[in-house]
Parts: sequence; structure tokens; C-alpha cells
Amino acid sequence: MTEEFEPKIIAFLCKWCSSAGSDLAGVSRMEYPPNVVPIQVMCSGSISPLYIFSAFNRGADGVLVSGCHPGDCHYIKGNLYARRRLALVKKLLEHLGLEPQRFRMSWVSAAEGQKYTQVIKDLVRDLKPLGPQTKLRRNV
Amino acid sequence: MKKTGVFICHCGINIAGTVDVKKVARELSQQPGVALAEDYVYMCSDPGQNLIAQAIKDKGLDSVVVACCSPTLHETTFRNASQRAGLNAFRCEIANIREQCSWVHKDMSKATPKAAQIIKSTVKRVQKNEELEPISVPVTRRAMVIGGGIAGIQASLDLANSGYEVILVEKSPSLGGHMIQLSETFPTLDCSQCILTPKMVEASKHPKIKLMTYSEVQDVTGYVGNFKVKILKKPTYVDPAKCNLCDECSKVCPIVVPNEFDLGLTGRRAIYLPFPQAIPASYCLDDKNCPSLFPVACGKCYHVCKPKAINYDLKPEIIEEEVGAIIVATGYDLYDKEKMAEYGLGRYPDVLDGLQFERMCSASGPTQGKILRPSDQQEPQEVVFIQCSGSRDPELHCAYCSKICCMYTAKQAMLYKHHVHDGQAYIFYIDIRSGGKNYEEFVQRAVEEDGVLYLRGKVSKVFQEGDKLKVWGADTLSGKKIEIDADMVVLAMAMRPAQGAQELAKKLKLALDKDGFLAEAHPKLRPVESVTAGMFLAGAAQAPKDIPEAVAQASGAACKAITILSQDRLYHSPTVAKAVKNLCTGCGMCVAVCPYDAIALKDGKVEVNEVLCEGCGTCQATCLRAAIQVKNLTQHQLHEMILASLGG
Amino acid sequence: MVKLEDLKEEARRLLKEGKVKYIIAYERNPLDGRAVPAFLRKPEDADRIAWDPTCVHNLVRFLVDEKRRKAKEKNPDTRPVGVVVKGCDSRALVILLQEKFIERKDVHILGLSCEKTGVADERKLAKRLKGKKAVRVEFGPEDNFTVTTQDGAVTVPAAEVLAGRCLECIANFPVVSDLLLGEKTKRTVANAFASVEPLESLPPEEKWKFWQEQFRKCIRCYACRSVCPMCYCDECVADTINFAVTADTPAEEKAQKIKWVEKSPLDSENIFYHLVRAIHLAGRCIDCGECERACPVNIPLRQLNKKMEKEAKVLFGYEVGFDPDKPALISCFRDEDPQDFIR
Repeated sequence: MTEEFEPKIIAFLCKWCSSAGSDLAGVSRMEYPPNVVPIQVMCSGSISPLYIFSAFNRGADGVLVSGCHPGDCHYIKGNLYARRRLALVKKLLEHLGLEPQRFRMSWVSAAEGQKYTQVIKDLVRDLKPLGPQTKLRRNV
Repeated sequence: MKKTGVFICHCGINIAGTVDVKKVARELSQQPGVALAEDYVYMCSDPGQNLIAQAIKDKGLDSVVVACCSPTLHETTFRNASQRAGLNAFRCEIANIREQCSWVHKDMSKATPKAAQIIKSTVKRVQKNEELEPISVPVTRRAMVIGGGIAGIQASLDLANSGYEVILVEKSPSLGGHMIQLSETFPTLDCSQCILTPKMVEASKHPKIKLMTYSEVQDVTGYVGNFKVKILKKPTYVDPAKCNLCDECSKVCPIVVPNEFDLGLTGRRAIYLPFPQAIPASYCLDDKNCPSLFPVACGKCYHVCKPKAINYDLKPEIIEEEVGAIIVATGYDLYDKEKMAEYGLGRYPDVLDGLQFERMCSASGPTQGKILRPSDQQEPQEVVFIQCSGSRDPELHCAYCSKICCMYTAKQAMLYKHHVHDGQAYIFYIDIRSGGKNYEEFVQRAVEEDGVLYLRGKVSKVFQEGDKLKVWGADTLSGKKIEIDADMVVLAMAMRPAQGAQELAKKLKLALDKDGFLAEAHPKLRPVESVTAGMFLAGAAQAPKDIPEAVAQASGAACKAITILSQDRLYHSPTVAKAVKNLCTGCGMCVAVCPYDAIALKDGKVEVNEVLCEGCGTCQATCLRAAIQVKNLTQHQLHEMILASLGG
Repeated sequence: MVKLEDLKEEARRLLKEGKVKYIIAYERNPLDGRAVPAFLRKPEDADRIAWDPTCVHNLVRFLVDEKRRKAKEKNPDTRPVGVVVKGCDSRALVILLQEKFIERKDVHILGLSCEKTGVADERKLAKRLKGKKAVRVEFGPEDNFTVTTQDGAVTVPAAEVLAGRCLECIANFPVVSDLLLGEKTKRTVANAFASVEPLESLPPEEKWKFWQEQFRKCIRCYACRSVCPMCYCDECVADTINFAVTADTPAEEKAQKIKWVEKSPLDSENIFYHLVRAIHLAGRCIDCGECERACPVNIPLRQLNKKMEKEAKVLFGYEVGFDPDKPALISCFRDEDPQDFIR
């Protein structure tokens, strides 16, 4: 019997909302799958498209970027630049034929531990049937 | 080779219950550049901190990762511990393996490798961390307050009484704002001028306050603690030191224009005293209306002025000042008259706005406190007050509640009854909002003692018929149509941001909300701060508010300003953006995205103002060529972290 | 119709009066009759100027090289450089102005309208001529090209041999110029993004199959980058980035670079490179089509860039290369930017 596929996911979380939201999920002892390695950044606006390409290139099966809801950004509007920039990244990756499920963005506030948990659960659930991401993975 | 120390906390069983800390420590100790990896039951305890400090000294560690709870909890603890042991605080980073790992997983075989990856990624980051020291800048220990109404006066007095110099800038010729126009104030009915003039005098005589009336802020540059401002001082053509208020000039002046102070209910001359208690107490020549300033010389006032206070040759001056903090208290104006055409404001002489009615009730007003119809100078027997004229009407007018109208309408109806005992006052209202100390009792008094008749509903139309004003409305409680033959109608007009406040906000780079009021940094927790560091908000410029609220916010803003002015130097986190000039082509994309105006182009290359930069990194993601990087979270570091997080 | 004599006249005048440092234009290659870039320095050089449907090159690219050269000179000649531009090329210039790479005063723009046609796609033309060699291609009559081979002249409807980009052109005359020759005829393009639609409609796996085949061909010669006027970075992030070193940077770190992409032409690295190029050109590429033309292995690069151009328009209402005072696509946002893809 083959073991169930466990996707490797990188989640870029903004410090002020999404990382705090995931901390809240922890404090509330909400359980979610351990497939995600979080990387805390200051703002979703600081996520360069290169990070996302690089994560897929280095073998991520999925990438999540999570920031503050519009209007709540600690830096006023960083998340709104991110929204535009990452919409283009998503369209580009999909134009290439990458499964749309693999790159995801979410707004998670510091109070939304429950939502963060759900975002991770859904992402893992959606990625499992896709199997490993090999399209952009470095094949050396 | 790097010498990184990794310290893994058990947090009792909080971490160790789900993460095999020993195994993680063994794995991490094998990582390149890791000099040691140790675990301990409570890393944040004194023995735990000592363990780290000892290892820094003994092993000569050049960087430290503490794998424990969220950095929001103990980052400062461990950075301080590192600093004490001689390691730069910014060479210590936290790997969150509790909230983001052990607490959300149950299976140790899965939580353990995840914790290891989080730590490895943090190790990669810390190995590229720069040694940083907090940025410090000197502070100019004086403030500027913009707006000379009650909020601006209060803020200035609080600052001055705390020992700081204040430049108080007011665009009109006198201090006082709208409050000085009011008759009596709710809920105590004390005379507005009686309580305000002492404060105006105090502000004008205060040795720490430099009063600049008839002046406008032209330009502001710099940053918190170090603003440079340019103020345009318009000439009044009358030397206040010489003017003895004899009124001879005004008597001979041939030009009559509507008097702003009485909202057009009276006229004034081109040379005039703004109002009897004006501060500075001096006449002022209105250069938009005076013929002497044009080639055709009239010169009448000049000739009658015995103290020779008048000088037509004065020119506007630009005065430059340096301040450390700015308080914006630009106040409000009433909603545009033209927009309330359905109620006949501006069309029928006996339809007044709230401020005009205030002037009429004022003992120093156009009727010496008598309530008389402007059309025939008769006492009105039936007066209709209409609340929410322009407020709470998202379709046609302002969506917001102007907040003070319920109270001042009750007061005005009450004052009317005190003047005209046998008259009848009607108030059309949507809701009565009387939250505030003694406010509800005040409204009850208007109804019970003064017999004011409240009608719940909206007025559809006001029109003149003979010498009466027909008011058509609906009483939504009884469902009946109401028609009143009124002698006078008073509109409680919506409050909107003061004329010119929007342009000023642009100069100060302050954000506005959707209604044009100045936006606060946080609606609940930072209500007197603007989004720009070092600039604070007070009074109705931020949102409609009554006098006690404006005064409270002004004192709050003054106190916030003092948190800056009381420092010799300001300290700022050093994790800010830095330019990589050899890669920059000067395209300016980062300049455009920076929320803090912290980036500028100089000689075609990017330059970061470290004091303004908050380190968000939006510039870093926008730059196509890695020419701007946030210290200790560079693209290089992110690259390594991504690799480590994916296991190699 | 553009009167070539007018262009020559103006070029002659500019050079004679010393108003420009030199002029970048087209001339005919005597060997095959096709246009090549020409650098005119003397008034008599103006006689060599050519304008015909083989003027495919985006000459704005040469302004990038000019700027580099000038930066190194001690006492540079500060006169503007003259450059001949088509509609698409002029929009590339707008981007360089927008990004402050070129200053308006440093360039004298000689604009030519493509009117209702455009430039020819060499491959389509060869196919149409069935192996015969064109010695001369000319505009007209009307919306046709006149193609001369050794067998004589034939009239070919332009639409049959127009370059793909011209079929989707939204600016057939220059949007910025000092002199504009030819008519400002508005040409309506039914669907400016028609070429990306077939691929868009495919399911992910088939899209992927398509691209995998394309990118497998890439030999990483970087012709696409070399010919692109927007690829003016000194160091391409898709290669490596050298960070400035400070006094306390240890030796081992000095040697380190971010290596986002491997240089070897592996499938994954080829894709990474083209992804980076596409995202960096989003909101900047004006579809001059030069990358695709220059590609020696025929990778349909316009499919990537056009897709980004389309999304900029559809998602954000952003049109590229018309207004040098507008912020870049990714350095602005609208409150109503779509966010239905965000949870």
C-alpha cells in the first residue's frame, strides 16, 4: 500500500494579521494539517513574484500568501499592491498550465484563527488529489 | 564559517509534548554553520536565558536562534539576553514552533520535522542578519497647531503650559473658530463667548505661543521630530500694535460686503473688526474688496486713522519654522447652502441655518439677542426646526450623522421659547441622539418645561406663501401628513470638513476618509494620531464632534505630541529598507508604492529616509532589480529561507 | 501615405543643423533588400533611409545602448539622438520615459504611421511566396504590399502577411513624436487579444503540454532579452544578483549571490527564466513582438506577454505605454481591483 501523498506547502504570512491569526489558532489549540511551513514577513506587499516561482522551483506543491483584509493593512496599503501583483502571478502560472489550486491568497486577520485553520485545511485537501507538483520543480 | 547557536525550548510540555526536541536539537547541530543546538525546559526563565548568554560567551556565537513561542511574546526577552552577553540584538531571531507548530498538531512524527524546518529556515535567515543599532534622530522641541478654534486653542495651551513653544496658525484674522459665533451652549446654557474669550486671551498672551492669524500653511517637509514648515502670512494692512479700535476707518469706508461672522445677516466694511472680542484686537483690511489696493486710490481710511496704523504697501510674507510635531485642528463648515434647495435656504430670507440662528440668539448678534424674522423684523410665532438637513441621507447628501445637531436644535428651540414665551417650536427629527453627560435630561427639559413639539419624520418641502413659510412633512409615528404655516424655519445643517482642509491635507500628506474628514491612524486605538508619524488630529476636522469632545481630543493630541517633544532623540527600528545603488536605474516604482513617502530619487538613484521607513518591504517586492532591500529580511534571506523550508 | 522624401528631408535638416547627435533609422540591406537599422551621422546619410514593411525592428532598443555609452563618456555630447519609431516602438519609448530611463529632451522622435497595415512577418511572407525570394517589399497600393521577386512584382493583401502583433495593434501611429508622418488613421481591431484565446481555453494539462514543448526548445541564448527595450537592467535578476559588499562582509559571503535560476537550459530553469521575464514585463511590454521575432527556436513569447497585457487591461483597466506620467502597473492599485481569487 502506498502512503498518502502529503503536499509540501510554503505559507508567507504577514506579521500583523495573518501570522497573528495563525498564532491565535495555536493559542486556541485548533488543529490543522502539518504540511505548511510558515515564513513570516512584514507585509503581504513585500512578497516578490520571485519568491513564489522559487518555491515552486524548489519543490513546493503549493504556495499560500496571506495578508490583512483590505483596509486593515498595518502599512495602510501594502496588501492592495500585493493583491494586484499576485493576481498577475496567478494568471501567469495558470496560463502556463499550473493547476489553479496550487497558488492561493487569503486575507486572514489577527482574530481569524478559525479562518486560518480552514484555509490550511482546504489547501491541503485540494492539493492531495493533484499529487506532487513537478511542472515547475527543478529537475536536476 | 558562521557560528550560530540554536536553543530549543520545551515550554514544559507545550512544545516537548508534540515535538521531539532532542531529535530536533540533534538534527540542527548537524546543520552547516550551527555551532551548537541545545534544548531546555523553559528557555525564557533566568537559567534558560543564562544558558544562552553563557553559550554566546563560551562558544563565541555570532548569531542565535531561539525556537520557542511566537516572537510577539519573547523576541524582546531573548534579544535583550543576547545583547547582555555581547551579541548584537538583531543577530537573534525567534523560530515560532509553539503557536505555529506544537499547539496545532498532535502527531509527533509530523510536528517534529515541521519544527525542524521552521528552525532551519530561521537559522538561514539569522546567518545573514546584519548587526543593527536603533536609528536615532534629534527632535525639534516645538510644535505647530493649525486652526485657532477651540480645539486648536486648547491643544496650544496644553502644549505651552507643558513648557513647549507653539506656533498657532489660523487662516482667518482672529482666533475663535465657530465656537465664538455661538450664543449659549448645551447642556448648561452658559454663554459661549464668556467661556471662550478667556482662553483666546490666554493663548494670545502666552509667552510660549507664537500666534499667527490670517496665515496659512503652504508647505511641510521633513518627518517626525523634524518638520520644516512654510507659513504664508497674509497682510491685514493694519498694525495691531498701533490700532486703537477707534472705528473711524470703518465709518468712512465706502465698501459694504456681507459680514462672515454674522453669516451674512449683517454687512461690514472693507476695513473691519472681525468681531468685538477679536484676537488680535485689531482692524483688518480685506484686500479682496478694498479699492485702495487697486490702482484707483480711495485712501479714506488711511486719512482718518490717527495712530497711522494703516499701510497699503504691506506684502504677503513667507515665514519658515521648524517644529517637531504638528496638530491639525482645522474644524468644520456647514454643508453647502445650494445643496439644500428643497428647504429654501438662501432663497427665502426667513429660512436660516443653525449658525445664523446662533448669531441671532447672541446678545452681540445682529438683533442684539432678539429673535426677529429677517424679512420684516417681527417676532416669529411658529418656528420649525429641521434636523438632519443634509445628514444621514446617503442618496442625496452626507451619509454620516453630524452628531451635534440633535443637541443644538433642542437648545435653539429652548432659547427661542425663552425669548418668545407664547411662540411654538416644532422639531422634525429622524432620531434623537442625546448620548452625553446630562444631554438626555436637557432634551427632556426642552419637551417638558419649554413645550417644544417633537415631530418624528422628514420634511419634504418648504416654500413661501404670503408672509408664511409652508412646511410640508410627514409624521411617521402617526402616519399623518403635516402642514405647518411657519414664520421661520431653522435648518440643522450637516457638518462637513472646513473649506480648504482637503488641500491642506494634501500638503501635509494626511489621508482623508470617504467623507473628507482627516483619517485617524486607527479608529479605536489611535484616534488622535494621523497615519503620518508626528502629526495629530483634534476637533471636528477628524469627525463631527461637540465642544467637550473637541477639547478632550485636543488635550489628547497635545499629550501625544508631548510624547515626541519630551524626547531628546527619537528611536526607530533599524529594520528599514536600504538602497542597493549599483542595481538602481531610478525608475521610481518604489517611490510610488511607499506608504510613508520614505523613498525619494536623488541624482537618479533611490534613497531611503530611514526615519520615515517602517520596513514593510512593499518597495522590495515592487523593484524589478533587487535595488531596494529591507535589512534583515532581504531577498537573499528569503531565498535561503524558502530553500530551507523545502528541505534543502 | 508616409512620404519617405519628407522623412529624408527632415533627417537631412536635423543633421545639417547639428540638432541631433545622430539618427537611428532604417536602411535597405543591399544583399537581400530587407531593412536593417542604420545610424546616420552626416546629412548625406539621410539618402539611405528606407521605410517599407520589412522595417520590423524596434529601434528604441538602441537608445538603451546609447544611454550606457553616454554614461561612460567624460564629456558626452548632450544633443538628443534622433530615432525613427512606429506606433508600437513609440509606446516602448513611453515606458522608458515613464521609468525615467530616458529623458524626453534626450531624444528627437521621428514618428511614422503604419496607417492601416503594419510590418510583414518574414515567415508568413516566405510561405506566401512559396520559396521565391523577395528582393523588395513596399507599402501599397491601398492595404496591400507590393512584393518584388526576380519574377516581377505581385500585390499581396497586407492582412495575409502582417506580423501577428500588427494584427492586434492598438496604436498604429506613434503616441509621442516630434514629427509625425503619415495619417493618424484610427484602425479598429475587433479583439486585441485574440491570439491568446485559443491557449486560454485549453485545460491546464494541455496548456502545460504546449508550453513544455516550447520551453524545452529554449537554448538560453537570451536573444529575447537582448532585443527587448524594457530589458535594460545591468544585471538580470533571472541570472544572479550581486549585492554590494561592505567592509564587514566576510569573504565567503562576498562570493555569494542569489541564484534564483540555474544557467543551464534545463526545462525547469528555462521556465523560471521566462516566468520572471513575463512578470517583469507585465504592464511594461507594449507588444513590439521583437522577442518572438528574434527567437531562433520560435518560442511564441508573445503568448506570455500578451496574456499579461490582457490581464492588465481586463483586471485593472490599465493600458500600457500611452502616458509617461502614469504610475507603473504594479506601483498603483484601484480600490475595486478584483479579489475574487482571494479567500
